[in-house]
Amino acid sequence: MRRMDRRDFLKGSAALGGAVVLSGCGSSSGIKADTGGGASSVAPVTYGGDVSAEPNKLVISEWPGYEAGGTKAQTYGLLAGKSYTKKYGASSLKFADYGNDDKNLNAMKAGQKFDLLHPCVGYIQDYVNAGVVQPFDTSLLPSFGNLFPEMVERGKVNGQQYWIPWDWGFSSILYRKDKIDAADATGWELFWNKKYSGKISMWDGGSTPVEIAGLLSDPPAKEPYHMTADELDRAKELLIEQKPLNKFYWTSEYGNMQPAFKSGDIWITYSWPNDYKDMAAALGEDKVEFMQEPSQGILAWVCGFMLGKDTASPIHAHEYVESFIAHDACVDLTNLFAYGSSDSTVQVSEIKDQELATKLKIGDPKALDPPTHLEQWIPNRTDYQRVWAEVKAS
Amino acid sequence: MAVAEKATERRPTPKRVGRRRRGFHPGKGWLVLPPTAYLLALLIFPIVLVGMYSLFLLTNLTGVIATFSYQDWLDFFPDKWTFFPPWNTDSPFWNTFTKSMGITVLVSLLTTAAAYPVAYFLAFIAHRRRYVLLLVLLAPFFTSFLLRVLAWQVMLNNNGVINSLLWELGLRDQGNAVSWLINTWFSVGLVLAYSWIPFVALPMFVVMENMDRRLIEAAQDLGASRFMTFLRITLPLSLPGVIAGFVFVLIPTTGEFITPQLVGGSETYMFGQAIQDLFVGTAIDWNYGAVLSIWLMLIVVVLVAFSARFLTMDLREET
Repeated sequence: MRRMDRRDFLKGSAALGGAVVLSGCGSSSGIKADTGGGASSVAPVTYGGDVSAEPNKLVISEWPGYEAGGTKAQTYGLLAGKSYTKKYGASSLKFADYGNDDKNLNAMKAGQKFDLLHPCVGYIQDYVNAGVVQPFDTSLLPSFGNLFPEMVERGKVNGQQYWIPWDWGFSSILYRKDKIDAADATGWELFWNKKYSGKISMWDGGSTPVEIAGLLSDPPAKEPYHMTADELDRAKELLIEQKPLNKFYWTSEYGNMQPAFKSGDIWITYSWPNDYKDMAAALGEDKVEFMQEPSQGILAWVCGFMLGKDTASPIHAHEYVESFIAHDACVDLTNLFAYGSSDSTVQVSEIKDQELATKLKIGDPKALDPPTHLEQWIPNRTDYQRVWAEVKAS
Repeated sequence: MAVAEKATERRPTPKRVGRRRRGFHPGKGWLVLPPTAYLLALLIFPIVLVGMYSLFLLTNLTGVIATFSYQDWLDFFPDKWTFFPPWNTDSPFWNTFTKSMGITVLVSLLTTAAAYPVAYFLAFIAHRRRYVLLLVLLAPFFTSFLLRVLAWQVMLNNNGVINSLLWELGLRDQGNAVSWLINTWFSVGLVLAYSWIPFVALPMFVVMENMDRRLIEAAQDLGASRFMTFLRITLPLSLPGVIAGFVFVLIPTTGEFITPQLVGGSETYMFGQAIQDLFVGTAIDWNYGAVLSIWLMLIVVVLVAFSARFLTMDLREET
């Protein structure tokens, strides 16, 4: 046998490298233009078989705080998921930090696999287009019939139920009532008020700050979720103007936003109802306000569950979702986090803090109708993201 | 000669060469296969992939067909260049790059200047205790980097240790914090410098430790003052360590993103953060992120190549 000398070796290596690179090129040829939807069939999906035949293991991409009750990860005492962990054991569940919709979507596009994920309504189409999810079999969800039909409808793509709604709420401005002049707290322009420079923190939320700037620009964007190139340019200018007023862009609700608000480092921030509840408890209701009616309209979202395309445990996944959309779990969601739930059977009388429920319009899905800006799919999301990237880099 | 003869006698008999081998006997060329495969798989191949993304031969964008394009490269470089300051161009990411390089060079210079007396003390003054003191210097680095940065957050926050101390000592009114301590270029520079001082001090210490002390003694015997001895002997001979230390800080800080993320603010966005955001953050665009990554890699390669020249030359000849 002839010995391999350095030259031979290099030739071999180059050939191997070339083959690997070409295989990479091959995968690129698989990238096709969107067809605008996932499954072409509208026949309802069914998952047969025995649950015991499936691996008793679910990997779930979840927002921190929403992990199933009964697991070590759940530290807020959430009831949702408890019936599942009671039946199958807490150790059968593994949670990954969802981060945000953009991050999770890209992670899955890059090959990361989850059995279940918890995206918001604006990203349903993106996940379906990316081909990383599959439809639910709603016959396996006994509480499915209780859900608000308007929300359920939003989870359908090509006639298939790809998304099961669970939680909804508003996004608005959380501010220190004792530090901010009431006359200044009228709308989203509070983020642009130089009087509070260094005490403001906008969310590092990708497309969200762009949508806010779109509402504020002159003239305002007609559709904050479908902004034109000119509207995006105007939003970018506004955000660049706002940038130096921030102490920092917050990246983690519990990691840096809430601690900074609690300590007084920031007085004005983008937030959700649970933040108002937490900060009011920490600082006193007389010091904290959640702006319910910004003059340009409040933002709102609905989030829910999607089923990973390659899950080996679809029936387990359905049971898990059922443990979240069950009536008691939905009541608890509102009582614990001050969020609305998708369960239409929840009565106002079941909500502990009636005053808060009224203030946050919990249990009233009509509150999601205009002038509220309910999150929608953004067809040109990459343009929004590029605007935000350029704002941060400016 | 007798000794030489004895040595010859003791020399082992050379093995017979040219004997026909039996079975499979791979040559020395095969020994490079594992490290080369490792480098190909974990270094070259990923770089090639990133390069392909930068030229749009691959993309993560849904609904976009990957075809060769260098548009992202054109977007990265400014149409209108500015030199004073260089971060005032029409390309936001170029501005981020130049700003980051500015802070990186400044931090590297300050860190090197701060580490030099430490290394000098350990090498020339600490004597027997030098290794104990070196261990003390390195002790904080036995804990996680992330924890150390978070500890700085606790120190620098508006309600942190430093501000609380100022309030307790009556140097500032209660609640009136020094706000520039955190979320500013100051906090980013401070924490970056803190993180790298021991790594800069180490190569300097090694060079000083191995310095030929007779040269210093000779200079003093010839009447040079302590300052002149330092200036003409110690400093030039320690320059390879100084340059190595400078490069040790400069290279990793060019891509730094954790420190500005944790102690920086909206105005302290660094190039590493931009790359992170474009790959896994809130503004995902792998193609543009790849352009930034390749550019950063090229800059680092140039820096290493440039500094390597100084590290290998014998500075004694020039003194």
